[in-house]
Amino acid sequence: MTETVAINSDGPGIVRVQRQTTSGFVAMALGTSMIAAIGSMPWWASQGQIRDVVELCCYIAVAAMWNLLAGYAGLVSVGQQAFVGVAAYAMFVMAQLWGVNPFFAVILAVSAPALLAIPTYALLHRLDGPYFAIGTWVIAEVMRLATSIFAYVNAGAGMSLRVMTGYSADQRAMGVSFLCAFMLLVTVGGSYLLLRSRYGLALTAVRDNPVAAASQGVNVGRLRFLIWMAAAVGTGLAGAVYFLAQLRITPPSAYDPNWASIAIFVVMVGGLGSLEGVIIGALIYFFADRWFGEYGAIYLVVLGLLTLFMAIFARGGVWGVICKIVDAPWFPTRRTLLEDKP
Amino acid sequence: MADGALLEARSLGKSYGALRVLHNISFDVRRGEVLGVLGPNGAGKTTLFNLVSGDTKTDEGDLFLDGQTLVGQPPYRRCRMGIGRTYQIPRPYVGLTTFENLLVAASFGSGSSEAECYGRCAEILRGCELGGKANRLAGSLTLLDRKRLELARALASGPKLLLLDEIAGGLTDEEGKDLVALIRRIRANGVTIIWIEHVLHALLAVADRMMVLNFGEKIAEGVPDEVIKDPEVRRVYMGIEA
Repeated sequence: MTETVAINSDGPGIVRVQRQTTSGFVAMALGTSMIAAIGSMPWWASQGQIRDVVELCCYIAVAAMWNLLAGYAGLVSVGQQAFVGVAAYAMFVMAQLWGVNPFFAVILAVSAPALLAIPTYALLHRLDGPYFAIGTWVIAEVMRLATSIFAYVNAGAGMSLRVMTGYSADQRAMGVSFLCAFMLLVTVGGSYLLLRSRYGLALTAVRDNPVAAASQGVNVGRLRFLIWMAAAVGTGLAGAVYFLAQLRITPPSAYDPNWASIAIFVVMVGGLGSLEGVIIGALIYFFADRWFGEYGAIYLVVLGLLTLFMAIFARGGVWGVICKIVDAPWFPTRRTLLEDKP
Repeated sequence: MADGALLEARSLGKSYGALRVLHNISFDVRRGEVLGVLGPNGAGKTTLFNLVSGDTKTDEGDLFLDGQTLVGQPPYRRCRMGIGRTYQIPRPYVGLTTFENLLVAASFGSGSSEAECYGRCAEILRGCELGGKANRLAGSLTLLDRKRLELARALASGPKLLLLDEIAGGLTDEEGKDLVALIRRIRANGVTIIWIEHVLHALLAVADRMMVLNFGEKIAEGVPDEVIKDPEVRRVYMGIEA
């Protein structure tokens, strides 16, 4: 289980540090099979099942990105729909108006949220806490309004992805499934790689005490910007994949504040600051939506109460409760110093 | 540049509105020495540290480390230039283990790769009497251990100049002696130290020179014995009328 051995010549000799755990190996094997299963859905799943899985994966991706922002960088955004919408629209423009292959356009479209992330961060980075949150919301609303008067993208009437009629149902299913697997790999896998690296340590340090982190060599401002940028790209990728499957886009659907609400619910209920929580929370939301969605307003009230309940009584979310019972992380990031003697 | 000076402060000043916290402070810290800083509460000692570490912006004056200007440099860059500090009220990363707390400082402060820092961090933990607690979450440490962690973490960044802000407060005599021995070892390794401390006997046991602040102004500087005998210092700091 020991992954890393560091040798220091001047004194302490060999120090062994454990980075992986048995639960981590099991989870990695399961996760890899899940991603392979998602990528190969056209061979085993129905159209309806594919649509459901794509939706679930988009929730996971958007929530994983929000978790990086709020759970680590201390940036609580309620306007992530700005990046969902701008990437989805970029994909529609590239595929429908410029004639780019729509599946390829999904990948290219993430350049739009990346570009949007630069001026928005320049505007927002001086704001803190609630002011920052309101700022993100304003930006998302401005994007929605600007899009709904922008004639090039058919203004408020929205666009249809008619180029998709050029592909058979099987080709479409294959493209969407493959992109979906890729999206999970980038957002969840990417988050995990980031959190395991020394930048993951720095992110936790910034979350716990930004002043001390800065005085120990961490460039807090740049780290926060990079996370903002990465979250914009990941969220945008989810938006482009989601609307590729939808085939139709309008400003209210693209910039739907519901994206932010879903991300907040998923992360708060699943467990802020943990990737495991993101997956658990997304599953809870997905099945709650399927089973209880028909109850309309009451269902939404119950979801709201559940979030409130978790925020008050179980700050670590469902994953936090599980951790108290059993120590078996799916995505271990700890560095355990073996043979730690007084 | 004064010969052998690692840090030079020239006419430093800091105000918050009408409140003048520091005024016209100039001093040198020589390479390899321990400079003790004394002063009653509110004298501006911690503000002085904040100016050196970059946590607070300097209003007036200049600061040089190894001849390079510090004013205008952000804290993370000053750390990489060789300034390590502790905080009077410990600021641990509570979600990380003790060992990981040190890794942050070691890998970002000294610019080494993470794996290169493992051995050094483990050694520093043992040296600071945190051996056996490497894998404990920093949030679960006692106050004494949190103070040790502050020191260990500052050392992990590989500083040339170490700023210690009241790390002896609340220690027993025995623990105080261990701390003094540890600080001597740190100095013997070539680290220059500025130490703010109210525990006078601990400070006197290590300091090569002392500086005394009162109401934001320097009122004395010199060898410890002379500074302690200075009538103004006795009046201001010890409440003894000369």
